[in-house]
Amino acid sequence: MSDEPDHSRLSHSPGSDELLRLAVESATDFAIFSMDPDGLVTGWNVGAERLLGYEEEEIVGRDGDVIFTPEDRAAGVPDAERAEALAQGRAEDERWHMRKDGSRFWGSGLLMPLAERRVGFIKVLRDRTERYVAQKRLRESEERFRVLATNIPQLVFRSRATGERSWGSPQWVDFTGLSSEESLGFGWLEAIHRDDRAATLAAWRAAEATGDYRVEHRIRRSADDDYRWHQTRAKPPDGGQGTATEWVGTSTDIHEMRSLQDRQKVLLAELQHRTRNLLAIIQSMARQMLRTSRSLQDFETEFESRLRALSRVQSLLAHDDYPAIDLRALVETELAAQGGSGDDPGKVRLEGPPVALPAPSAQALALALHELVINAVKHGALGQTGSRLAVSWRVEGHTGERRRVVLDWREDGVTMPSHLEQERPGYGRELIERALPYQLAAETRLDFSPEGVRCSIAVPLEDRRAKHAWVGI
Amino acid sequence: MPGSGSEALRGRRALIVEDEYLIAFDLARTLEDLGVGVVGPARSVADALALIATEAKIDAAVLDINLGGEKAYPIADALLTRRVPFVFVTGYDSWIIPAAYAGAPRCEKPVDVRVLARLLFNER
Repeated sequence: MSDEPDHSRLSHSPGSDELLRLAVESATDFAIFSMDPDGLVTGWNVGAERLLGYEEEEIVGRDGDVIFTPEDRAAGVPDAERAEALAQGRAEDERWHMRKDGSRFWGSGLLMPLAERRVGFIKVLRDRTERYVAQKRLRESEERFRVLATNIPQLVFRSRATGERSWGSPQWVDFTGLSSEESLGFGWLEAIHRDDRAATLAAWRAAEATGDYRVEHRIRRSADDDYRWHQTRAKPPDGGQGTATEWVGTSTDIHEMRSLQDRQKVLLAELQHRTRNLLAIIQSMARQMLRTSRSLQDFETEFESRLRALSRVQSLLAHDDYPAIDLRALVETELAAQGGSGDDPGKVRLEGPPVALPAPSAQALALALHELVINAVKHGALGQTGSRLAVSWRVEGHTGERRRVVLDWREDGVTMPSHLEQERPGYGRELIERALPYQLAAETRLDFSPEGVRCSIAVPLEDRRAKHAWVGI
Repeated sequence: MPGSGSEALRGRRALIVEDEYLIAFDLARTLEDLGVGVVGPARSVADALALIATEAKIDAAVLDINLGGEKAYPIADALLTRRVPFVFVTGYDSWIIPAAYAGAPRCEKPVDVRVLARLLFNER
C-alpha cells in the first residue's frame, strides 16, 4: 500500500484520527465513507450526505451498496468492486449511482481497502455527471464526424494551409492505395496525375490568401490504375482566422460530369458544323438552280419544294445524338409530303425490312427520293389514274463494308410524256446519277421505260463505328 | 459569273476536297467561271491524296475538314510537303482545328467564293 498512502496511513496513525476527521469533513465536494468488510457503512461525511441524500445517522450500520443502481447490484458489481480493491489495492468506480430519492448521477471515484483489510474499505466519490454528459456528447459528436468523414463518397483529408496533410480518410487510402503514413506531408501528391501536380500546389499557394482551396485534378484509382477527375476543395474550420488551424477538405469524383461536358462541347461543335454545312448546301442548290431555271417563277417553285424536302429530313435527323433514320420512314415522309397515294390506297406499295440509314446517307437519299416523287406527281404514277408505284428495298451482303441496301423504284401503267426523254438533264437526274455515287459511293440506275420510271439505288451501309466516328473528334 | 475572273486566276489550278456533292460541284463551277482550272473534286482523304500524288500542277487547294467522318488533316500535311497553299472551308469553329494548322486561312460555310479565290491565289 506504499503507493497509496494518504487515507490509509492517515486513518490509522496514532493521533491522526482528528486530522483525518477534519480533512474528511472539509472535503464537502467529495463523498467519503467507510465500510466494514461486508459493506456495512461505518463512517459517512457531509459530502456523502449532500451527494447521496442519506443522513449519517440513518445510513451507518446499513448496507452501503444502496448507492449502486439496482441493475448493478443484480449484476454483482459491488462484490466485484470489493474483490478488485482487495486484489489490486484499489478499484476504480466510474458508473451511474443512485441517491436516496432514486435520482441518478455519474459517480467517479475509487474504493480502497483500509490498511488492515479486515477493517474494511473506504470509498471516495464525486459527482461528475456534467463532465460525463459533456464528454459523452463530445464522443458522440466525434463519432458522428468519424462516421460522416469515413462514409461519404468523397475522399476526406485534414491538411495544413501549406497543403501538408495530417490525415486522410479510409476512402482516400482505399481509392489511392497510399497508406495513411505514405500520404502524410506531401506524400499524397504521389496519387495526383503528374501533369496536374503543379496546378494542385499552385492552388494551395492561392488558398493561403483566399482561405478557400479548390482545384480539379486527376487522382489515381489503385484498383485499375485509372486516373479519375476529382474536384478537391478545402477550408479552414474557423474561416481562416489564424494560420495554425488545420484545414478540412474533400475530393469529389467529377469524372462523369467532365466527360459529359466534353461530350456536350463536341456535340455543340457538330451542331455548328451541320448547320453551316446545311446553309452551304442550300447556297449551292440555289446557285445551281439560278444557272438552270428558265424563269424566276420556275426557280421559286422548285427551290421552295427542295427546301421543304431538306427541312423534312432535318426534322427526322434532329431526334437523336446519333441519328439513324429508318428507310421506310424516309420514303413515307417524302410520299406523304406530296399527297401520297391520294384517293387510291392500292396505288403505292412499300416493301422492305427495317434499315437504319446513317444521317449523311439519309439526307442525300431524301433529296433524291424527293426528285423521284415530284417527277411521279408531275409526269408519272402519282399523277395518273390506273398507274402504280412500287418501292421495295433489301439488304445485300453481310456485316462490314460490303453491306448495302438496294432500293428499287418502279412505276407501272404510266403514259409517258413524249418530251421527257428529250428534256435536258434535270436536277433530279443529276442528284441520282452523279450526287449519290459521289457522296455515298452509291450505284444508281435511272431509266425512263415506256411503262414508267425505273430507278435502282444501292447505298453502302457503313459499319456502326465508321458511322459514329464523325461525331467524336 | 463567266468573264468576271481576274487575270491573276486564269490558268491557275485548284484542288477541291469536299464530300458534299452539291457544294463540291457548285464550287467547281464557280471557280471555273472565274477562270480557275479545277482538280477533283475529291470526296475522301484517299481520293485527295491520289490526286496530289499524280497531278503535276496544283497551285492551291480548298479543304473541307470533315469528309464523311474522316478529318482532312493528312491532306493538309501532303499539301504542306508539296508547298501548296490551302484554305480550310468548314462549319467548325477555329478551336477545333489542331494547332499545327492554325496558320492556314479558313473560310466559314457558306462561303463567299470571291473571298475564297482571293485567299487561294492573291495572298502570296
